Amino acid sequence: MPEEYVKFDLTDMKNFEYDMKRCVRCKGCKWVDHIYMPGATYSTRCPSEKRYLFDSFSAWGRLRLALSLLNGRIEFNDRFVEAIYKCQLCGACDAGCKRNLDLEIGSALESLRIKCVADGFGPMPEHKAIAEKIEKEHNVFGGPADNRDKWAKGIQTDDKAEFVYFVGCYGSYKMQGIPKATANILKATGQSFKIMGSDEYCCGYPLYSTGQIEKAKKVAQHNIDTIAKSGAKTVITACAECYKTLKVDYPKMFNKSTSDMGYQVIHLVEFVADQMEKGTIKFKNNIDMRVTYHDACNLARMSEPWVYWEGKRKLYGITEPTAPRRKGTHGVYHQPRNILKAIPGIDYVDMIRIRENAWCCGAGGGVAEAFPEFAQWSAEERLEEVDEVGAAALITACPRCKDNFSKAINASGDNIKVMDIAEMINEAIK
Amino acid sequence: MGIPQEAYKAMEDIVGSQYITDDQVIAQAYVGRLGHGKDTGIDLDMNVPPAVIVLPRTTKEVQGILKIAHRYKINYVPASSFWISHCAPKRPDSLLLDLKRMNDLEIDEENMCAICGPGVIFSQLQEEAIKRGMYTTTPGGGSQVSVVANHINWGLSPLNYRNGVPGRRVLGGEWVLPDGELLRIGSMSTTDDPFWGEGPGPDLRGLLRGWIGWFGAMGVVTKLAVKLLPFHDEGLKPVGISPHTTLQFPEKKRIRWYNFVMPTRESLVECMYDIGKAEIAAALTKVPQQWRYIAKAGCREDFWEGWNTDEARNSINNIHICRVMLVGYASEEQLEYEERVLMDIMDSYGAKLGRTRQSDNSWIKNADSATMWMMTGAYTSVQVTVDTVDCGVKGGEGLAREKPAFTPPLMDDYGEPGWFQVSEIGHMGYIEFLQYWDPNPDQENLYKKDEWNYIKVPTLDAEWGMFNAFNIYASPMNLTGKAYGPECRKWFEKVKAEFDPDKLSNDPIPWDVDEYVDKVDWVNKEDYINRDWSKG
Repeated sequence: MPEEYVKFDLTDMKNFEYDMKRCVRCKGCKWVDHIYMPGATYSTRCPSEKRYLFDSFSAWGRLRLALSLLNGRIEFNDRFVEAIYKCQLCGACDAGCKRNLDLEIGSALESLRIKCVADGFGPMPEHKAIAEKIEKEHNVFGGPADNRDKWAKGIQTDDKAEFVYFVGCYGSYKMQGIPKATANILKATGQSFKIMGSDEYCCGYPLYSTGQIEKAKKVAQHNIDTIAKSGAKTVITACAECYKTLKVDYPKMFNKSTSDMGYQVIHLVEFVADQMEKGTIKFKNNIDMRVTYHDACNLARMSEPWVYWEGKRKLYGITEPTAPRRKGTHGVYHQPRNILKAIPGIDYVDMIRIRENAWCCGAGGGVAEAFPEFAQWSAEERLEEVDEVGAAALITACPRCKDNFSKAINASGDNIKVMDIAEMINEAIK
Repeated sequence: MGIPQEAYKAMEDIVGSQYITDDQVIAQAYVGRLGHGKDTGIDLDMNVPPAVIVLPRTTKEVQGILKIAHRYKINYVPASSFWISHCAPKRPDSLLLDLKRMNDLEIDEENMCAICGPGVIFSQLQEEAIKRGMYTTTPGGGSQVSVVANHINWGLSPLNYRNGVPGRRVLGGEWVLPDGELLRIGSMSTTDDPFWGEGPGPDLRGLLRGWIGWFGAMGVVTKLAVKLLPFHDEGLKPVGISPHTTLQFPEKKRIRWYNFVMPTRESLVECMYDIGKAEIAAALTKVPQQWRYIAKAGCREDFWEGWNTDEARNSINNIHICRVMLVGYASEEQLEYEERVLMDIMDSYGAKLGRTRQSDNSWIKNADSATMWMMTGAYTSVQVTVDTVDCGVKGGEGLAREKPAFTPPLMDDYGEPGWFQVSEIGHMGYIEFLQYWDPNPDQENLYKKDEWNYIKVPTLDAEWGMFNAFNIYASPMNLTGKAYGPECRKWFEKVKAEFDPDKLSNDPIPWDVDEYVDKVDWVNKEDYINRDWSKG
């Protein structure tokens, strides 16, 4: 092929045309890794393809639609936009593809959403409504911006600390038990921390994931500046979406690498796992419960650092310098499991689809807002898996997953308990 | 134009509105680059989007759809896992039957068979079989391949060494003929149980699959029982995180790989015969050099760093690897016995036992097949010689001598003469000749890869007297049909005329390559297509 110059800049879909063209339709994006294939059931990894069946709702189909758009064979219309947004951007397709091929499926799909918004066809109305709330009050619920740190009343923070705790919208406004538990855990280990209060804006995930990159960049820049001003070198969060957005999407938006951001992002489970190794955290309470863990996509297969790349693509698609590939190999998989297994009394059992093969809770990518029925359907399939392994409780490390599972349980009347891992750890150290 | 509205409405009444669409945006998701054969001429120049896509769930629904198609003269294309380029619509206003909803899988442990819908893939079946102490042969096409489609076509794997070629493992089933009539074959012709392949009267399985299959040009197989074989009962443990995932063999000596470095290619061939004669082993294959470099590479660039070396170049003629799998089907003692026999055979050739990991990710559950596209972006096998293995090897060596004239656009593989193995305990030899190229259409002389695939290779095969099974569909039947007697093209034509006189079932298959080469200007028709093969 003629040599071409490309870069990992998502604002131009042409940068991912190669990836669209080279999809071989092996459906690695659909099936659970064949090595881990559990049999006739729980055998797929893509909620969208399983729910809507037509190929336009699969990664391989969306790549073809994107390519057809680039080549002028089709234009955006309602069905196309629907196919684009009925997808959680859960990264299952990307990790599955990279089992065998070096194609940037996830970035291509994100780039398609950015193009859809830029051309005036996206996002969905529900996404626009959230964008307005973020613009006005800096959170997804539209609650008063000044209320963001209400949960922290009575909690001791330290303005000189090198740790800044990025709470996120769900923790700040809807699930305040999670930040309270997180603060207790940090305190128990002797780790001082500060919070950003009303200067913390929504991380921007609801904007970036729906293709509203310009709006996302504004909140991102605000948060980056606030972190820099705080002097903190480490950002800790208990939210998988915030984690991935700060760690991966911020550098991606600004064509930088994670290592260029001037701060390190860690999730609470990474911190706690580290403290376990150091012996600075002790689980004292017995919790007699059979539990399982749900890998939040943004903490698991999608959480590897972003490395910006630009360079040449030559004959046979060879890149120079070699393009970095995030394959989902080094996601945060072991830490939460090790934590749960270390809590006395807990009978830990894994679900059938785990780690890079995990089934998404269903909420991500703007699906919970625009297509709540689809989000619930996805959660219900995951809850069936919880039942299948006989767990009484489902532990997550993402408030959004907890929220979506809780809604599905409320709707179905199931008696599975859903807990955030921060709450579980907090119970164990009391 | 699409299909008549009455026909659409009738089909909608059968499957429900959520399982049918004529939306042309959705249709674009079904265009192009389908599985094996992608990036060749028929794939690049003939594929068109379907006018309508329908997702049936049952045999009865398929019957209804085909009857409507028959009534309104609508060309239709049935496709299960879409892993072959013949199953993309090549006619405007076609109806695509996407069979993914037909994914029922039932294991009959007593009769050791699996009853599958066309939406069932190999890794699903393999896992369910292994749970019950049995296994099937996952083909080189990969675990993502439809079990039904592969059994009625052609699936090769080193596991065929012991389990036989897939056509022999087809039992009873349901076959909806091109006009929508239901034909039940094997034991299903008299009962509802598909456990056995034969029924009263002639064995219709031959009509269904011929040698290589019809690729949707003879209606739709909606249910098929396939034979399962006994396996050891220790199971296989999946380990690792993507992309480094594999099935770890049990500590008990129930399954083992052995990699032998043979002194010469001839000894590699001879030892395969001897292993077959001794009636030991579960799988047996040569390891092509590219595959070794792919296996070691973390990415495309890694591969090329390894491949662009003198070591790789010299390995083609100097390193001959025989990979053998032993399974103690009945006991550890069985494996130990077979190991002793194997070592005796290999010692007699001066083979050296190399190191190998005691795990598998390429054959039992073949998770690696898509890596064939990793090196260059395009791949196909042009040669499937089914003969004695030494005949196949000589053919592969001959093709390797001719290939430089087509390199580039083909990737330089340093004269690699192909992947070969024996099947059916040594009674059948097999070779695939592998091609890789960059599919970017801007390349100079890219048409030469089609000339090589469609014309040169089958012509050489015919001249050399080699039977190339792939050529029946991967080259013009107007060439191969005449070259191989009795002329199979006429046989295909007669069967097609009898069952599908209007050519509605996936037209123009199996003559798609003929149609393609008729239109191109780089084929010398007098030398090839119109050649009188009776004169040699």
